[in-house]
Amino acid sequence: MNRLKSTTIAESRPEPHPRRLDRGRPPDVWPALLAFIIVALFWEVAVRLSHTPAYLIPLPSAILARAVTDLPTLLPDALVTLGEALGGLFIASVVALSAALVMSRYTWAERALFPLAVAVKVTPMVAVAPLLVIWLGFGPSPKLIVAALLSYFPILSNAMTGFRSVNPRALEFLRSLDASSFEILRMIRVPHALPYLFSAYKVSTTLSVIGAVVAEWVGADRGLGHAIILANANFDMTSLAAGVLVLALLGIGLYLLVAVFERQFLFWHESVLSTEVYQ
Amino acid sequence: MLIQPPSTPPFAATDLPGSATPRAIDVRHVSKSFHDANSVFEAVHDVNLQVDRGRFMSVIGLSGCGKSTLLRIVGGLIEPTEGSITIDGLPPKAAQKQKSIGFVFQDAALLPWLTVVENVEVSLQVNQRANRPRPRGTDELLDLVGLLRFRNAFPHQLSGGMQQRVALARALVHYPSILLMDEPFGALDELTRAFMRYELLRIATRTGKTVLLVTHSIAEAVVLSDEVVVLAGPPGHVREVVSIDLPRPRDESIERSPEFLAYASLLRGVLKLS
Repeated sequence: MNRLKSTTIAESRPEPHPRRLDRGRPPDVWPALLAFIIVALFWEVAVRLSHTPAYLIPLPSAILARAVTDLPTLLPDALVTLGEALGGLFIASVVALSAALVMSRYTWAERALFPLAVAVKVTPMVAVAPLLVIWLGFGPSPKLIVAALLSYFPILSNAMTGFRSVNPRALEFLRSLDASSFEILRMIRVPHALPYLFSAYKVSTTLSVIGAVVAEWVGADRGLGHAIILANANFDMTSLAAGVLVLALLGIGLYLLVAVFERQFLFWHESVLSTEVYQ
Repeated sequence: MLIQPPSTPPFAATDLPGSATPRAIDVRHVSKSFHDANSVFEAVHDVNLQVDRGRFMSVIGLSGCGKSTLLRIVGGLIEPTEGSITIDGLPPKAAQKQKSIGFVFQDAALLPWLTVVENVEVSLQVNQRANRPRPRGTDELLDLVGLLRFRNAFPHQLSGGMQQRVALARALVHYPSILLMDEPFGALDELTRAFMRYELLRIATRTGKTVLLVTHSIAEAVVLSDEVVVLAGPPGHVREVVSIDLPRPRDESIERSPEFLAYASLLRGVLKLS
């Protein structure tokens, strides 16, 4: 309640000079970590009590131990997959953001291109990935393309909404000063789109990792997807799970990175302000 | 901060050279119809308005009478169907290019990621070719609207009345020749609104700006204006133009004077008829 008062009734006190990059607080990781540990403990106890063999369900403690001992091979694999995912995400961003710019400006472009974008989005990439490998070989390019194809849609869809979600009065004000379309884009459309874009990237970063892994399954000689499919072929469930663990950590890391940037850049947005008021 | 009385009003547009200075705002036979798939809605019908430089005109009328549409036509945000508008002798689009217009809306519409001073200077950031030399800086303007202490605050840290002051400063910082205000205090609570009325009176007097104010508050119109136009509609047409011959400088005591009450009841009567 005190917080609420101090942020709304500002008349009574001189304003401190907030540095904009100090304003977002990093997200608190302890509750999430605790939840993970509890789930892992239940898992460990359940597997031990039921005497389930490791080739069916491996023990969390064994998975963790294996992930640590296999780190010298898992880490380079993880870096390969990360590179593919980020490369795909970059391609997806360039294509989706420029398409969103055009489509939010011209309705005819939206009517022509959006159904196409939906059609590509609903095509199962697991089915397309083998084709891409046949066309493009075992190199990195099919991985980049699958990662991009899986991750572009949230960016496109949210960017379009974002570029249009502008305060109409702010728009009229800039127009009354004969601001150019580019100035309007730079000064109000892009910043207004940021909340939507951060939401999109929370989804798209994880999707790009999935895309890279799916493409690696189809044909690759390195990467986490390759490591996982190899462990599966050897019926080494602990090794498979260790690969999955590293993969999950990769996804979580990317998500957290987006979340941290979100709090830094959206200090002014309701989604961040509301958490400051009610805590 | 104490400012010495300046020789010229601060934040006034410098006079254009030339012998015959045109009217600050000149609206002639302006009509506006909105076309729908199968219907036509006339929002404004044959409006004439003339505002001389440095004068304060209010347009009052009931909700939906077309007064906001009229203001947007004057500001060049809407094209009229018929008639012509000039601002300092220029059509509205040309006046926009020269940054001769300062707009204040009911919604302050500040950019929430910018500080107060950055929000005000948004007006200088766009269309920079048309920026005039500024005899006074942004901080002096912030002082004029009473916000210098909050120059680095963000909009979400300000009250509604303070946000509207920022919007006012943003509309003045580029030295426009006219100020167009669309129910600027309509979203404020009654007490703040009454206070802001006199703040605007003080700022308008200090800057000597030509102002066209759309409002539905009779008190606001009488206190601030040299002339009050009563708009009836739709379609919006001028029902009556009332000159407010109250002496200046005016202050809060004006609302208790018999002349004020006479103007208020006169306007109330005209509004009822419409």
